[in-house]
Amino acid sequence: MELLGIMLAVLGAALAAGFAGSGSAIGVGIAGEAGAGVMTEDPGKFGLVLLLQALPGTQGIYGLLTAFFAILKVGIIGGEPVSVNVWQGLGVMFACLPIAIAGYYSGIAQGKTSAACIQLISKRPEETGKAVILPAMVETYAVLALLMSIILLNSISF
Amino acid sequence: MTLETGYGYAVSRLRAMELRILGKSLFQRLLESDDFKDAIKTLGETHYAKWLSDDKGTQNFEYAISMELQEAYDEVDRFTPDKELSQLCRLPYDIHNVKVLIKGQILKQKGSKKRTDLLTKLGNVPIDDLILAVESEDYRLLPFGLHRVVPESLMLWEQTHDILSVETLLDSHLFLTMRQLVQKVGYKGVEAWVHAKIDSENVRNILRLRRTGMDAGRAIEFLHDGGWISKEKVLSLLSEPVEGWNRILGFADVSRVFEGVPETGNVDDLVSDIEKALDNYITDVLRPYRYSTFAPENILTYLWSKEIESKNVRIILVGIANGVDKESLRRLLRNVQ
Repeated sequence: MELLGIMLAVLGAALAAGFAGSGSAIGVGIAGEAGAGVMTEDPGKFGLVLLLQALPGTQGIYGLLTAFFAILKVGIIGGEPVSVNVWQGLGVMFACLPIAIAGYYSGIAQGKTSAACIQLISKRPEETGKAVILPAMVETYAVLALLMSIILLNSISF
Repeated sequence: MTLETGYGYAVSRLRAMELRILGKSLFQRLLESDDFKDAIKTLGETHYAKWLSDDKGTQNFEYAISMELQEAYDEVDRFTPDKELSQLCRLPYDIHNVKVLIKGQILKQKGSKKRTDLLTKLGNVPIDDLILAVESEDYRLLPFGLHRVVPESLMLWEQTHDILSVETLLDSHLFLTMRQLVQKVGYKGVEAWVHAKIDSENVRNILRLRRTGMDAGRAIEFLHDGGWISKEKVLSLLSEPVEGWNRILGFADVSRVFEGVPETGNVDDLVSDIEKALDNYITDVLRPYRYSTFAPENILTYLWSKEIESKNVRIILVGIANGVDKESLRRLLRNVQ
């Protein structure tokens, strides 16, 4: 049973890293496509485009962070081995879900917003400040999900 | 959540390319030019410079306009995911070329010289292929249904010797092919744009036919299917004064065309005002899609903007060259975006 508990925790960590990472990959890809389109016409906008393209990448980092927390919690890496029953394992897995789900969807949504903002700066480079704020608003919800995942992980005692 | 990324690259590139489209301030500067040479000099400060730098461009501004449009089409063709969108905009040029070649055949029969200089490279079908097909009477390889409509048009000419009927047949084929292309891509905005184009063409035709005093029985032949408004409804405009058209077409979007037309006693002014309003109406149909990051309709928006830009440049340069007063020219300018 102990092994099943650990496996559930590992599944949670995998979901967090996998889904949030996928969301980021798609988001960065969407923004990258838009960036390439703009840079074909105006290569001088590389700096601004790179900044906006990088924004949807943070969800992947949050997912990775949560996955580390989860596997640290059950003692897979570092620390002393911990005894994890099925219910504790399930708890760890559920705790990983907020960042897995929100990371995936917000990564894509942020990618779309970044693409739109890349189009904005292609026409109005003077509005770069505003162009960065709009995709950053989407980031809020990824941060909230990360916060919730960490709080939930910390609330599980072994 | 759908991933509409097919157009991410294309629309972003178009956004950057839109910076090259001439705006109101440039048209204003062109209008304020002292003479034709001055206007060409002002145009030379824009993206048109590369076509005006050689002798051919300076002497023949039509060449510069045509080359600029050609470049826009070729560039868009290279990256648009749906070639049908560009084909839609190029189709009228194919039909124009076919008309030129058919008239050339007619002139040839009459012993006159053919006018191949009127052919344009802007169409989908290379000019050489079209000429070869018409000269050899082997139409089998012509695309977009031209293999059927070209011999049909020549046969119609043989039977009726009525060039208007031939042109109407070709125009009907144009709109039919446009509708088929729209069905192929299936984009809502593109469909609305084609409907608007057909409605505009029908209204434009009825306006011209009204001036010639044509009866309804004959006039219906010049109207095309596929618009938002039925041919019968458009035909009913024939017997009504233009002031009442807004009321009759009140149910359709195109009625807004008649709201913005200033009252004028001059029939020529009225016609040019309505034609301008119809072009603006077609531009407006695509306006909502300008704010969509991944909308395929942005391809059409860009190409249509370039078409209108060409039209405006042509209006100004021809007007200045012929000494038309600036106020009249300003009145003719369309909204580019």
